[in-house]
Amino acid sequence: MKKKIVSLLLAAAMALSLTGCVSKDDAVQPQGTNEVQEGESVEEAGDSSEGGYELALITDVGTIDDKSFNQGSWEGLKAYAEEHGISYKYYQPEEKSDEACLAAIDLAVKGGAKLIVTPGFLFEVPIFEAQTKYPDVKFVIIDAAPTKDKTTEIADNVVSIFYAEEQAGYLAGYAAVKEGYRNLGFMGGIAVPAVIRFGYGYIQGAEAAAAELGLAAGDVKIKYTYVGNFDTSPENQTLAKSWYTEGVECIFACGGGVGNSVMAAAEGEGKVVIGVDVDQSAESETVITSSMKNLSNSVYQAVASFYDGTFAGGTSTTLTAAEDGVQLPMESSKFENFTQEDYDKVFAAIKSGEISIGNDTLGAEPTDVPVSIVEIENIK
Amino acid sequence: MSILYFVVQQTMFFAIPLLIVAVGGMYSERSGVVNIALEGIMIMGALAGTVFIHLTDGVMSGQGVLLIALLISGGVGGIFSLLHAFAAIKLKADQTISGTALNMFAPAFAILVARTLLGVQQVPFKNSFLISKVPLLGDLPLIGPMFFQKSYITTYIGLLIFAAAAFVINRTRFGLRLRACGEHPGAADSVGVNVYRIRYAGVLISGVLAGVGGLVFIIPTSTVFNASVAGYGFLALAVLIFGQWRSRKIFFAAFFFAVMKTLASAYSAIPVLKDLPFPNEMYKMFPYLATLIVLAFISKNSQAPRASGVPYDQGSR
Repeated sequence: MKKKIVSLLLAAAMALSLTGCVSKDDAVQPQGTNEVQEGESVEEAGDSSEGGYELALITDVGTIDDKSFNQGSWEGLKAYAEEHGISYKYYQPEEKSDEACLAAIDLAVKGGAKLIVTPGFLFEVPIFEAQTKYPDVKFVIIDAAPTKDKTTEIADNVVSIFYAEEQAGYLAGYAAVKEGYRNLGFMGGIAVPAVIRFGYGYIQGAEAAAAELGLAAGDVKIKYTYVGNFDTSPENQTLAKSWYTEGVECIFACGGGVGNSVMAAAEGEGKVVIGVDVDQSAESETVITSSMKNLSNSVYQAVASFYDGTFAGGTSTTLTAAEDGVQLPMESSKFENFTQEDYDKVFAAIKSGEISIGNDTLGAEPTDVPVSIVEIENIK
Repeated sequence: MSILYFVVQQTMFFAIPLLIVAVGGMYSERSGVVNIALEGIMIMGALAGTVFIHLTDGVMSGQGVLLIALLISGGVGGIFSLLHAFAAIKLKADQTISGTALNMFAPAFAILVARTLLGVQQVPFKNSFLISKVPLLGDLPLIGPMFFQKSYITTYIGLLIFAAAAFVINRTRFGLRLRACGEHPGAADSVGVNVYRIRYAGVLISGVLAGVGGLVFIIPTSTVFNASVAGYGFLALAVLIFGQWRSRKIFFAAFFFAVMKTLASAYSAIPVLKDLPFPNEMYKMFPYLATLIVLAFISKNSQAPRASGVPYDQGSR
């Protein structure tokens, strides 16, 4: 008897929960809940001709508060949308695959998106597909261009934005050596072009500073590796700590969550970290500076261009120091020897083109970067 | 020499959470309830602990905060595990499924809570817990730098927990009853042991320990908690199996896994290993390969608790 009652109750609960699903159709993408408060759900928005979420951002493997890449882009989009009272929303692909990214794009379009921002290298194939599938929707793709099978095609409804990460990396490497560090490390996430550019720039910056200081060959050492993920994990922390134990003074943590692992290692050892993408100085005392890309600014600009009719569809731009696309946040940096003047000088030289920095086309290995003073130890 | 000290110090960061969680798993499984929800429980524990540390930042700091956070983590882990206990013991549900449900629930819940409370997904915490040197003991030659410098209080707490847990399960009346419920609950019941109650206790202990383990795991290795314990709950299950559900073997298994994990991550700093021709991936695979090999050899006379995973129904005795 007892069992019967229980099963009846269970059946009732199931039936109830089913109706729950039907009546509450905003459950499509629970990640976006902070915007669902506005009262409209994704599906409802798709049905109605007005409303919906005009601006959409689709994250890559991170989330919108990854304190890095996605967050920077999201902040730009959000800032514009809030200033101008435009509805916006973000979507998170269910997994790291072309299909999942494309499905997220489908969802965003259904949700009424007119402009979709996709930060990340992972979107080169999905956007390649989506640009022809949705000719009326505009796309902004960051750190990549729509590419499939090695053919790049940027349709009229797509703007692709690259950054001169090698310049940001150069500034970081230059500042580190000028500050007085001689034993450096570079821990990249996955060897995607943006990360490689950061790393190569870092090496060249260190080399340039070493040359200016008149150091002898071998005086500056860089350990260089790609950890193969963008995660915060004890494995990454162990690796960073092993480097610090070996005498590395400053590690450029170039890969999302990897940064938190390196910071944890640095805290125990009293060593320092260089952050990436956005200003990470608030994350930990150990972050002396960050090799920044002005993500939020450029996303803001791109969104603005869409609304004022200057959307430069079909083009690919690389934002450099000249456009203030890359920088070190000097106000929050904890340098003692590297001054604002030093920074202004090197920044101006990069801006004017006086200093030219090689990027990922230098070669497949960091040892392909031409150096004479810096000694690179490439760890695989 | 500093590399040796480093390896030992680092091994502790891997070994202690694995040890605590695996011993927790042992309590659950030897009472007769399979608990694959360890991962989820670790997440809940770590969430509660890091949120507490975050919220008290500026108000309190030092070891006291960590101790309170550990208690909170354990408490939350225990409460969360009762969901599994209820499903597995009272409702006689499939224990694998209810465990999986908890594992899937926990990260989503952690994100929700963090976003609601702090506005962001990652829970940042200030780590003011590192003990650079334990007084007196830290000055000992050899042993000092290995075990009593750059350590966390959690290391010693973890070892104490292990000692207490091993004693209780092997040497006390409660331990004997618990083991009996995992081997032959019918027999235990026939002599007046309340199987349900013992099993609830077993799962509850596993929940408390897994919750504590979650926080112990996060503190030394990150500066934020991001709704994940990187699969270490499952790794602890592997330690449990590798250790054949016996406390002493679990101890060695945990340290074996920890040493391997450390070497796999830090081999480039270890002169001997650096020159060996093995690729990095070899070290990463090794603990799992060893587990598979051991399982292949001992599966015939595996010492898994016989009634583990079988719901006990008093009526069918």
